[in-house]
Amino acid sequence: MPQKDDYAARDDDSLVRAAKQGDMAAFEELVDRHRDKLYARAFSMVRNEEEAIDLSQEAWVKAWQKLGQFKGGSSFLTWMTRIVINLCLDHLRKQKHPVSLSIEQLDEETGGVERQMPIVTVDPTEGLTREELRRRIDDAMGKLTHAHRTVLVLHEFEGLEYKEIAKKMGCSIGTVMSRLFYARRRLAALLADLQQERQQ
Amino acid sequence: MKQEDVIKIQAWLDGELAGSEAESVERLIAQDGEARALFAELRWTKSALAQGELERAVPESREFYWAKIERAIRATETAKPAVLNRPWVGLMVRWFAPAGIVAALVLLLVLPMLHQSRQQPWIAGAEIESPLNDVGSITFRSEAEGMTIVWVNTH
Repeated sequence: MPQKDDYAARDDDSLVRAAKQGDMAAFEELVDRHRDKLYARAFSMVRNEEEAIDLSQEAWVKAWQKLGQFKGGSSFLTWMTRIVINLCLDHLRKQKHPVSLSIEQLDEETGGVERQMPIVTVDPTEGLTREELRRRIDDAMGKLTHAHRTVLVLHEFEGLEYKEIAKKMGCSIGTVMSRLFYARRRLAALLADLQQERQQ
Repeated sequence: MKQEDVIKIQAWLDGELAGSEAESVERLIAQDGEARALFAELRWTKSALAQGELERAVPESREFYWAKIERAIRATETAKPAVLNRPWVGLMVRWFAPAGIVAALVLLLVLPMLHQSRQQPWIAGAEIESPLNDVGSITFRSEAEGMTIVWVNTH
């Protein structure tokens, strides 16, 4: 039986191979290695600590059950991230109560509100450290709706194309483009506001 | 600017436009100040987001976090039938079980029919009763043609 130190020295591919043979200690090492990244992604989407923990743990359980399907076409972390994203999307869908859309939401969907927002001409992120910039973006993203945040996460953090996002979110490409446009414009305005608050 | 144009500016920034559409957006940005300003805003927003998401650590100890995962995995594994944990048995079950079920169903349907056809000829010789008093019938059976004809007389 390999010692814990042995696992820490091995790369992901080797650990995945061992886990596929039923080696749970190898899988535990994978969890230890990537748990923070998956938790952060889940948190970015659901914005709730407990839910993010539960969803990331559920993703690991699902991964163990589906390890046989992982063929190594992408990195293990990429594969895991897709699992956690799908779980978060299901979770958000279950939570949603689509009674009616507010006038503002309807406007967002049809592209009215963002046209009235003044363009932010001075980049409020200029000169910020990477950590500070990430913190401000995180603050601003926390103020967006789930639909707008999700489209930003999938496009900007996950690097998905419009059609892939549309498929995942169960909407048209036009809706994705409209939501992405609104989300970016709103984010720009929120970042400008944050910058002003700090300067005062 | 039209709504269509602003969406196209974004699509161009995201590399989702090609050919003549991409060229028309380039022209628009070069000629229209508002389009240029919007493009600049979308571009810095995109590059800010490219810095990635905020790093977050799981607010639980390593052991506590893993323990819940391990418990869930063990619970699902014990819930599975033991044979499924052996790959060759799983393969047998996956391929042969459906085939066995289909074969059993076919036998169930075919055997009684074979049995019945051995005991009595199919249709020929079967008695047809009529609930009506004034109805008469004449039956003709040709063994050579394998055919039965029934004339029904209602008068």
